[in-house]
Amino acid sequence: MRRALAALLCLSLLCTLGGGLAWAQETLRVGIILPLTGAKAKFGEIEKLSFDLALKEINDAGGINGKKLEFLYEDDTGRPEVARSAAEKLITKDKVVMLGGGYGSSETFAIAGVAQQSRIPFLVNTGSDDKITEQGWEYVFRLNPPVSEYPKALESFLTEVVKPKTAAILYENTNFGSSGSQEFKEICKRLGIEVVVDEGYEHGGVDFKPILVKVKDKNPDLVYMISYVMDASLLMRQSMELRIKPKLFVGGAAGFTLPEFPQNAGKASEKVFSATLWYQTLKYPGAMDYYNKFVSTFNKDTEYHGAEAYAAAYVIADVLKRAKSTGADDIRKALSETDMMTVFGPVKFIAYDKKTNQNRLPTYLVQWIDGRLELVWPKELATKPYVYPIDWEAVWK
Amino acid sequence: MKAPRWHIVVIVAAALAFPLIVRSDYYVHMFILALLWVVIGSSWNLLAGYTGQVSFGHAIFFGIGAYTAGLCATKLGISAWWGMLLGGPIASLIGLVIGWICFRLRGPYFALATIAVGEIFRLAAVVWRSLTGGMQGILLMQSFRSKLPYYYLALAIAFGCIYAIHRVMRSKWGYYFIAIREDQDAAESMGVNAFRYKSLSLVVSSFFTGLAGAFYMNYMAFIDPEVVFSLHHISIMAILVGIIGGVGTLWGPPLGAFIMVFLQETFRSSFFGLGPRWVSELHVLVFGLLVIFVILYMANGIVGDWDKIRRLGSSKAGAASASAGKGS
Amino acid sequence: MAVFIQTVVAGILMGGIYALVGIGMTLIMGVMKIINLAHGQLMMVAMYITYVLYEYLHLDPYVALLVTMPALFVLGSLLQRYLLNPLIKVESILPENQVLMTVGIGMVLTELARLIFHSDYKSVRPPYTSMSLYAGSIAFNLPMVIAFGIAVLLTIGLFIFLLKTDVGKSVRATAQNKEAALLLGVNAERITVFTYGLGAALVAAAGTLLLPIYYLFPDLGGAFTLKAFVITILGGLGSTVGAIVGGVVLGVSESLGATYISMALKDAVGMVIFLLVLIFLPGGLKRLTKI
Repeated sequence: MRRALAALLCLSLLCTLGGGLAWAQETLRVGIILPLTGAKAKFGEIEKLSFDLALKEINDAGGINGKKLEFLYEDDTGRPEVARSAAEKLITKDKVVMLGGGYGSSETFAIAGVAQQSRIPFLVNTGSDDKITEQGWEYVFRLNPPVSEYPKALESFLTEVVKPKTAAILYENTNFGSSGSQEFKEICKRLGIEVVVDEGYEHGGVDFKPILVKVKDKNPDLVYMISYVMDASLLMRQSMELRIKPKLFVGGAAGFTLPEFPQNAGKASEKVFSATLWYQTLKYPGAMDYYNKFVSTFNKDTEYHGAEAYAAAYVIADVLKRAKSTGADDIRKALSETDMMTVFGPVKFIAYDKKTNQNRLPTYLVQWIDGRLELVWPKELATKPYVYPIDWEAVWK
Repeated sequence: MKAPRWHIVVIVAAALAFPLIVRSDYYVHMFILALLWVVIGSSWNLLAGYTGQVSFGHAIFFGIGAYTAGLCATKLGISAWWGMLLGGPIASLIGLVIGWICFRLRGPYFALATIAVGEIFRLAAVVWRSLTGGMQGILLMQSFRSKLPYYYLALAIAFGCIYAIHRVMRSKWGYYFIAIREDQDAAESMGVNAFRYKSLSLVVSSFFTGLAGAFYMNYMAFIDPEVVFSLHHISIMAILVGIIGGVGTLWGPPLGAFIMVFLQETFRSSFFGLGPRWVSELHVLVFGLLVIFVILYMANGIVGDWDKIRRLGSSKAGAASASAGKGS
Repeated sequence: MAVFIQTVVAGILMGGIYALVGIGMTLIMGVMKIINLAHGQLMMVAMYITYVLYEYLHLDPYVALLVTMPALFVLGSLLQRYLLNPLIKVESILPENQVLMTVGIGMVLTELARLIFHSDYKSVRPPYTSMSLYAGSIAFNLPMVIAFGIAVLLTIGLFIFLLKTDVGKSVRATAQNKEAALLLGVNAERITVFTYGLGAALVAAAGTLLLPIYYLFPDLGGAFTLKAFVITILGGLGSTVGAIVGGVVLGVSESLGATYISMALKDAVGMVIFLLVLIFLPGGLKRLTKI
C-alpha cells in the first residue's frame, strides 16, 4: 500500500507540473478575486459582469498602451482561507502584475495580507472593514469607503431632520456586521443618541422575533440594521408582523439596496431607508451610462457593488497605462498618484485619520418609495423627496 | 512494519527534495496545506480509526491551537510562534475536559456530543469579542516570505505526528485502543480502564490537531471562528480524509489528505485554468461522490482495502498473499 | 409581560417547525440507530421541488405537499436501498460507516442543488406569507400556525400508524429488537427502506411548510440537521410525541435565550440543552413521559 502512496504522490506531482506550463503572450494580467460560488456569489456575479463589461471597453479602446489587458478571475468561495490560496496562486503561479476584487471583509483582509507580504499592489473595491486600510500597508489601496463611513449621509440626515434620541442596532455576526455596528455606535455617541438594543445574530436565522420583541419593548426612534438581503427581508417582515414602529428603519447598505429586498420583503420594504455608496443618477460622468449598459447587456439590475467593480477596472487600466513598468513598485507608485474620475466618483488615494491609501467619497441615503429605490439625501441630489415622518399603519395596510 | 522500509525512505527523500525541485510557491503552498491535513486526518484517525471514538469535533482542537497562537500575538504581545509550543498542550487540556464529558457516551451519541461541543466553541469564539476579536478575526503578518521554512516545519510536524502514532500503536496503549474499538465491554472486563485509554488517545490526538492549528495561524496568518471552528470545513473534512484513505491504517489519512487537497484545488481552479470555468463549481461535488464511492466499495478506505484494489487491478490474483494486513 | 408572552409564542410556533424537522429523524434514528446527517439536505431537496412547482406551475406550497412528500419518500427509499443497506453487509472497521455515508449523500445533494440552481437565494411568497393573527398585541404568524397544526396532525397520524397498522407494528418491532423482529418474519431490510422513505417524506413536509416563511439556498441543510438531532435526543429516540414536545421545548428555550441572554447565543442554547440531555437524561423526555 506504500507503493500506492508513492504512485499517487508521483501522479499528483505530474498533474500539478503539467498544469503549470507557462504560456507567454503580450497581455497584462491582473488577478481578480471574487466570491463566484457560495453564499455571496450573488454579489460576486454582479461584480464579475461589471469587470467584464469594463474590460471589453478598455480593450476595444486599444488596451494598455497597445497591450491587451486580461483579468484572471479566482473564486474565493466566500472563505478567507480559500481567498488566501487564490491570491497565492495568482501571484506565484500566474504572475499577475496586480490584484483586484476582494468582496467580503474577511476575504479581503486575508488577501491584503498576502498582497502586502508579497509586495504586489492590491486594489480593494468592496471589502469594507476599516482595519484593511489602517495597517499602514503600502501595497493595499481601497476604492470604496470603509464601513464606518457608510452612514455618513445618514448622520447628517439624522441631525438635520430626524433628531432621534434612542436607537437599536441589529447586525449579523460577520466581520462586516460587527465592525459596522461598532462604528455606528461611535456615531450614536457623537450625536448623543442612546443605544438601547445592540445585538448581533447568526446570519440565516428563521425567526428574528426574539430580538425584535426586545426592540419593540424599548421602542427606539431609530432601528439600524446591518444585514444581507435575506436576513434584511425577514427582519423587516417580522418587524411588520410585530408592528414595531420606530421613527425610521435604516439599513446599513449591503442587503437593503438589492432588488431582491423588496421582492422578498414585499410591502414591509416600503419606506425603509438605507445607506448606500452609489446611485445611478449621481452626477458622475458615465454613471447612468454604466447602469443602462449593464441592464441592457445582462438583462438584470445592478447597484453599487457593480459600480465599484466597473470603476475599479478603469482605475486598474489607468494605473497600468501610467506605470513606468509592470514592476510592482512602479504600479504601486502609479496607484498612489491616481487622480481620476470614474462612474463611482473621483478616485484619489489619500491618508486621513488612521487610514492610508484610502479613497474618500461621500455616501448617500436611499429610500424604497413605491417599490423603487430613490436617492433622498443629500437633498440637492435627491431623485425624490424623502418620506418622513412615516405612518407605518398606512404603509403596511 | 515488516514491509520494506525503502518506501518510507523514498517518501521522506521525495518530500525533502520536493520544494527544491518544484520551485513554484503555489505548489509548495498546496503541499503545505496537504501536510496540514495529514496531521489533522492522522490525529482524527488515532481517536476514531484506532480507538473507535468517532469524533465530529476535531475543529475544536484545531481552533484552540490556532487561537492560542493568535492570542499569543494579540493579547500577550509575544510571537505567534509561541503558540507552536502552547497550542498542543492547551488543546490536549481542553481535550481532557471534553473527554471527561463526552466519553461517558458511546457510538453515535459520542459523535453527536462532539458536534454539539464543537458548535458551542464556535459560537463562543464568535460572541466573546473582547478575547477573540469575534468575527473580525485575527490577522498577523507571516514571519517568512519564503515558503520553505513553512514547508519543512509542516513536514516535520506531519512526520512527527505519523511517527508518534506509529509508536503509540505499537506500544501497550495501541493494543488497548484497538481492544476498546473492537469491544469496549470485553476490554473493560479484561481490566482495561476504557475511560483512561480513550482519554489518552484523545490527548495525543488533540495535541497534534492543536499543533496543526497553531501552525495554521502562523502560516495562513488569518483566522476567524468560521474558519477554524468550522463543522463542515474542518471537523467533517477530517473525517472524510480519514475515510477515503482508510481508517485504522497509518498511511490512510495522509493519502486521503493529499487526495482531498489536490482534488479540490484541481477542480476549484478548473484544472489549473486549462478546463472550462464551470468545472470549478464541481469541486465539492466530486469529492462527495468519491466519499460515497469509497464507503460503498472500499469500506476500509483506499489504503485499508489496497489488497482488494490490487486484486481487482491485476489478474494475478494469486500474488495477493496479503503481505500487509490491516493497521500496518 | 408582553415581551415574555410574545417570546414564548414565537418559540412555540418555531417549535412546530422544529418538530416537523425532527419527527422524521427520530423515526430513522429509532429504527435504524443511525444518525442521518443528510436530514437537512433532504429537506432542502423538498424545498427546491416546492420552489419549482410554485415558480413554474404556480402550485401553492400547501398543495405541493402532495407532491413533495411522495417524491421524497421515493428518494429516501432509494437512498436506503442502494446506498445505506448495502453497507450492513460490508465489513468495516468502524460501525459508523452508514453515518459517514449520509455525510457523503448530504454533500452530493447540496452540490447538485448548487449546480442546478446556483447559490442564489430563492423564495416563495404567496400572499399569506406575512399574514398574522393578533390576540391583543401578540402576533401569531399565519403560515407558522398552519405549520404547527400540520405538525400536530402528522404526529397523531404517525402515532396511530405505528400503533395500529401491521406495517407500523413491524417498524416498531424492528426498532425495539431487530433480531427478534427477524425471527418473527419481519423483512427488516424492507422495513428500513420504508422507514427511511417515511422519514424523508416527513422532513419534506417540514421543508415545504417552511418555505413560505423562510427562503432557500443550497447550504441550508446543515443547520436544520443539527436542530433535528437536538430534538431527537431531547424527545427520545423513536418517540413521535417526544419529537413534538422536544421541538417545542427547543423552540421556546431558544426564543427565551435569544430574548433574555443574547441573540448571538441562540443556537448555543440548543446545543447546551442537547449536551445536558445526552449526559443527564439519556433516553430524553421519553423516559419521563413513557411514550
